[in-house]
Amino acid sequence: MSDGKPILRIRNLSKNFTIKSSKLFGKPQLLHALNDVSLDLYAGETLGVIGESGCGKSTLGRTVIQLHSPSSGVVEYEGRNIFEMQGEELKNLRKDIQIVFQDPFSSLDPRMTCGKLIKEPLIVHHLEPDKAKREKIVLDLMHEVGLDIQHVNRYPHEFSGGQRQRINIARALSMSPKIIVCDEPVSALDVSIQAQVLNLFNRLQKERGLAYIFISHDLSVVKHVSDRIAIMYLGRVVELCDAEDIYANPCHPYTKALLSSIPPDSPFEKKERILLKGEIPSPIGDQIGCPLAGRCPHCTERCMKETPALSDIGNDHSVACFLYEEKQA
Amino acid sequence: MNGSQAPVQDEPLLSVQDLKTYFYTASGVSKAVDGVSFTLNRGQVLGIVGESGSGKSVTSNSVIRLLARTGKIVGGDIRFNGIDVMKLNKHELVALRGSDIATIFQDPMTSLDPVFKVDDQMIEMICSHQKVSKQEARSMAVEALKKVGIPEPEKRMNSYPHELSGGMCQRVIIAMAVCCKPKFIIADEPTTALDVTVQAQVLDLLKDLQREMNTAILLITHNLGVVWEMCDRVMVMYAGKTVESADVKELYANPQHPYTWGLLDSIPHLSDETKGMLRTIPGVPPDLRLTGKCCNFYNRCPYCTEECKTKVPELVEISPGHFVACLRQNGVETLQRNEVAIDE
Repeated sequence: MSDGKPILRIRNLSKNFTIKSSKLFGKPQLLHALNDVSLDLYAGETLGVIGESGCGKSTLGRTVIQLHSPSSGVVEYEGRNIFEMQGEELKNLRKDIQIVFQDPFSSLDPRMTCGKLIKEPLIVHHLEPDKAKREKIVLDLMHEVGLDIQHVNRYPHEFSGGQRQRINIARALSMSPKIIVCDEPVSALDVSIQAQVLNLFNRLQKERGLAYIFISHDLSVVKHVSDRIAIMYLGRVVELCDAEDIYANPCHPYTKALLSSIPPDSPFEKKERILLKGEIPSPIGDQIGCPLAGRCPHCTERCMKETPALSDIGNDHSVACFLYEEKQA
Repeated sequence: MNGSQAPVQDEPLLSVQDLKTYFYTASGVSKAVDGVSFTLNRGQVLGIVGESGSGKSVTSNSVIRLLARTGKIVGGDIRFNGIDVMKLNKHELVALRGSDIATIFQDPMTSLDPVFKVDDQMIEMICSHQKVSKQEARSMAVEALKKVGIPEPEKRMNSYPHELSGGMCQRVIIAMAVCCKPKFIIADEPTTALDVTVQAQVLDLLKDLQREMNTAILLITHNLGVVWEMCDRVMVMYAGKTVESADVKELYANPQHPYTWGLLDSIPHLSDETKGMLRTIPGVPPDLRLTGKCCNFYNRCPYCTEECKTKVPELVEISPGHFVACLRQNGVETLQRNEVAIDE
C-alpha cells in the first residue's frame, strides 16, 4: 500500500481540551486528547484505528472532518492543509470527506423520512438541481446500500438499527466521497446485523474505491475490514502495521496485552493473559514519558522521562517503544 | 430463606420449566419468553446467548420475578434450591434477591445510586440481608472490595460512583453481589459496557470467585468469546425460544441449528484473513407479537421448508445433553452446514 501518494496526510496532530478547575478560581487544566499523531491514508485502503475508551480515536476522526479544530499539526488533503481552506474549497472538501457515526438512533433526524434524509446533502451542496433526477439518485443509493426502495417514505423509528446505519451510509455516499470516516459504525449492532454492515462496507469499497478511516474498539472487526491498523493509547499512536501483522507479530507491550485480553475464538483455546497493572492514566495535565510507563512490565527509567517516537522496525511496521529502538541500534 | 435446608445433592440448584413471560402492551401481547426450560447445578456456569430481543434478559429477570408492570409470567415453574419461586410473596422475594441470588447488571454506572457513597450503599445492602451491626457490615464491605481487587478499599468506600471508572464500578457491584455469599449469581451482560482489557480483568475475577465459593452463574451475553471462556453449558435463544442447548465444547465443535451456524459464521475472527466476506444471516428477527405459530427462524433460514412455516419445532435431544429445536435436525434427517450459499 506504500506505493503512490497518500490521499490524506496527518502530521503531528494534537488536540487539547481545556477543562475548568473544580476549585472556584483554580487554573483551568488541559486534557490531551490527541498527542502528536502522524498517519497517512492512501486511496482505496482502509486504515483501522483501535484503542480503548478515552484513547482519542474518536477525537482523531472528528478532527479530520473538522468537527474539532486542532491545537497544533496539519491534515493535508491532496497536498493542501484542510485547516486553511475556506469558502468554495472547504465546501468541496466536505463533500470528499464524509462520516458515519456510531449511534444510528441519534444520528438521524426523527422527523425526516428516509428519502428526505438521503436527499438532504444533495440539496445542501446543490449537486442535483433537477428534482426528478434527485429522486432517482435517492432510489439508486437506497438500492446500493441494500434498503428496500418501497421504504422511501418511512421515518427512522420504523427502521431497525442495521437499516438506520444503512441510511447513514447512503447519506454519506450521496456526496460521492473519497474518504469516509467510520466512527464505531457497527458497535451498536447485533452480530448478525454487524456482519451484514461489514460486508456492505467491503463491497462499497471495492465498487467505489473508497478510503476508510475505520475507528472501533473491537480488534476482530477492525482486523476484518482493514489494510493497515493503528493502535492508539492515551492520545498517541503506539503501533502501526499491516492488518495481518498485528495478529502474527504484535510488538508494542500494549498491543500484546490488548490481544491477550480478547476472549478466545473457541472453547478449546487457552490464552495466556498479559495483564496490565491498574487502569488507564488520566489524560489531564502534563504528559511526561511513555504513556504506558506506569503499567508496562518492561518499563525502564528512560520510559518514565522520555516519550518514544513512532519508528519503523522494517516491513512497514512502526512501533513507539524503546525496546525496539535498542534492538535496531 | 433457610427453611428447606440441605436438599438432595443431585437436585439442580435452579430448575426452570416451560417458562412463559409475556408483555401486555398497547399494541398487543409480546411473547418475550415463550417456553424456555433449563437447569443449573451448583458451581456450574450456564451461558445464554442471543441477539437483542431474543429474551435472554427477560428469562433471567423472570427467575427472580423482577419484571416491569406490563410483564407477566403466564406459565412455567421456577424452582430454586427447593423453593417454588412462583409462590413466594413480596417479602420473601426481597429476602431471596441479593442474599441467595445476586444480580450483576450490564451498566455499572447506572446500577449504583449516584447520590450515595459506596460505603452507604454496601452497608445498606449487607444490613438488610444479615443481622450484623453497621461496624461489622463496614468491615465486611472492605473485605469484599479487597477481594475483587480494588486498591485502597478503605479510601474507595468514601467515593461517589462518578469518581470511579466503569471497571471500578463493576467491581463494586461484584463486591456487593458476593458480600452475602450467594449460591447463584445472575450476570446480565456484565462486561458489555467495559473495554477489552478491563473485561478480561472482570471475567478473571468472576471465574476466581465462582471457583472459590462454588457459586452457580447464569451468564447472559451476546459475545460468544465470553461464553467460550466462562461457561460449562450454553443455551442459544432466538425470538423467545431456546433453539439449541449443549455443553460449550459440543456446541462449538458440533453445532446443529441453522441459527447457531449463522451466529458462529457472522463473527469476525482475529485469525481470519482480512477483507474477506462474512457469511451473514439475511433479514432481521421477527416481531415478538407474531411469533409462536411456526418456526420463528423460518424467514431467515436457508434450509426452510413448507413444514417450517406451519409447525412449531420442539426441543429434541439429538445426542446426550445436546438439544436442538429444528424440524430438519431431529435426528432422523440431518442438514449439511454451509450447503446453501448466503449472500449479504
